[in-house]
Parts: sequence; structure tokens; C-alpha cells
Amino acid sequence: MADAAAAEQARDEAAASAEETVKIICLGDSAVGKSKLLERFLLDGFRPQQLSTFALTLYKYRARVDGQAVLVDFWDTAGQERFQSMHASYYHKAHACIMVFDVQRKVTYKNLNSWYKELREFRPEIPCIVVANKIDADMKVTQKSFNFARKFSLPFYFVSAADGTNVVKLFNDAIKLAVAYKQNSGDFMDEVMRELESFDLQKTTENLSDKEESCPEEKPPSA
Amino acid sequence: MTYIAKKCGVCFQPPSIILIYKEDNKDKTRQRIMPVRNFSKFSDCGLAAEQLKNNPRHKAYLEGVSLHQLQKLYSLLKGHLGGESLAESLEKFRQEETIDPEEDMNKLDDKELAKRKSIMDELFEKNRKKKDDPDFVYNIEVEFPQDEQLESCGWDVESGEEI
Repeated sequence: MADAAAAEQARDEAAASAEETVKIICLGDSAVGKSKLLERFLLDGFRPQQLSTFALTLYKYRARVDGQAVLVDFWDTAGQERFQSMHASYYHKAHACIMVFDVQRKVTYKNLNSWYKELREFRPEIPCIVVANKIDADMKVTQKSFNFARKFSLPFYFVSAADGTNVVKLFNDAIKLAVAYKQNSGDFMDEVMRELESFDLQKTTENLSDKEESCPEEKPPSA
Repeated sequence: MTYIAKKCGVCFQPPSIILIYKEDNKDKTRQRIMPVRNFSKFSDCGLAAEQLKNNPRHKAYLEGVSLHQLQKLYSLLKGHLGGESLAESLEKFRQEETIDPEEDMNKLDDKELAKRKSIMDELFEKNRKKKDDPDFVYNIEVEFPQDEQLESCGWDVESGEEI
């Protein structure tokens, strides 16, 4: 049994290195249904990891996009949204964002403004989908216009985690957008991150090869 | 012996919880009166409900009655003992069981948030299509075109940023 588990883990790890991995974050007020949407999409197949220290829940999911295997990390807030803002690490290297409000509660729609603002501070370019959840509570809302998404030219979905309307489509589209973003990322911050990462590598190799030159003696500042 | 609970209510005088039930495989409807003792307007309804539900003499009869319902019945009794009219008590229930759409739930503590969530969960469960339902469909796609002619949701104005 242990061997089988170990083998499976090794296989998982080997697979993970071969496939594309993307990170998709969920944003939105308390009780808008973020976790319920994820659970509806993943059904029983999900294995959430509660990272309570970081007030965050992680869901791993394997998808295929245009024949390519994709490992998706869905990040869910687990109550952290109550600080009205998320820790910077939540946004770090995210490739797409699903931003949810509750069609029954105006305040959750109004708060999209501040969620969106914070998202753009950390991730100026990643795809972001605006989601109107709980349409099962009142189908009439689907006959009304919500201008927030249009204002920022974002895709907009009416969904219901309860009856399932558009939930699978939402997540599949989010995964596609995340993969496309990762593969053709023009995000300024991503480029900076890449530069920094390769810079670190270069520096280390330089340090190894000719230590003296790359680490000049420290001199007191000249007056 | 299995008992099928039909109705459960409260009697203020003498204070008691009353159950209408049937015995399994029998037609006769029976009534069971469970007297409420040592309960005042200062008592904890949750605790009282639990004690009744676990009472060895009543346990079997109350299997089909939820703790939540018993708790509500005790709350009605408590309200009555505290001088509330039945209408007032019921109005309190209504308020506790509805969501204030203006409330910012980000500002609630864990307990209050859990309360709101459980209220909203009722509708969620009611409208929920479960995986095991015979008419369950995993991927349901419905198009809702957002064209310019639609009536506004009314939430876009007055935000200051809109100007």
C-alpha cells in the first residue's frame, strides 16, 4: 500500500513537472458563494487543503486545454476577505481572477470596486471574470444590466452554485484564460519577476566564477 | 419501535412541548405531552432543546424533530415568559431568519457570519441540484445577453465614481 502511494506520488510529481500549472484566485465579499461555486465545479473530485495559518483554501484540479495537461491551483479566501483586503501573497503569480458578487446583496456589488482596485495594484493585466452568483434566488436579475464589468471591459457571467447554471463554463473559461495569459504574458510585473529571477541566477553563477570582481570591496562613501 | 413525527408545538400553560406522531405501521395519530420544567425567561433555549432531545424518555419520539425546531419552540416559550406577545416573538424570528441586503458581512464576526450563512443555505439547499438527483446535469450553459437595452439593476448609480 505504502509503495503504491509512493509510486502514485512520484508519478504525480513527474506529471506536475511536465504539465502547465496555473493559479486562479477567487475574490469577493464574505458569503457571496465563492467556495460553493468551486465545490459545484469540482463535485467530489476536489481535495481542498485548508491552510488556516494563511486563511486560505487551496483546490487542485487537473484540466486539459487544447490537448495540453494543465494543473490548476484554485485559491479561495477562507475568511481573509473580512480584512477588506488580501495578503499580497494571495495575488502573487496569479494567472486569472474570478470576482464574485451576490445578486441579492447590493453591498457585495459595490465592493467589487475595491476588490478590483486591489487586484490591479498587484496584477495589472491578468484576466478577470466578473460573476453574478445566486441567480436561482431571483431569475429576474438576469434581465437587468450590471455595468461594472462593461466599464472595465471584463467578461461577465450570471451563475448559480445551487442549480449549476454556467458554473462549469465559468471555470473552464477561467482556466483557458489563465493558460493563455501565462503563455503570452505581457504583464509588466511578470516580466519584472522573470528579470529578477534570471538576475538572481546570473548573480549566483557570477559569484561562483569570479568572486572578487562581482563583490567589490566596500568603500566608505566619499565625502 | 419507530415513531413518525407529524407536528411539534409548544403550549404556554402549562409549559410543555407537544408532539403529534404516528407509530410505524399503525394508522392511529397520537399526542405526546412533554412538560417543560426548570425553564425561565433567563434559560438557554439551545441547551434546553438539547436536553429534551437527549432525554431518555422522549428521545425515540423526537428523532424526526430537528434541534432547530425545538430551540424555536423554547424561544417562543421564553418570549412568553418574558412578557412578549406571540406576534412579537414571531416577528423576531422573521428578522433573525432574513438577510438584510444592505448589511456588509465582511464586518461580522465568525458566529454572526455563520448565522447569516446558514440562513442563506436554506435557499441554497432548496434550489440545489445534487449530483445524485436523477435530473442532474454537470454542465448547464445558459446565455443571458447583456445588451444595452436592458433595464439597469439600479446599483450602478450614486457611487460617486460613476460621474
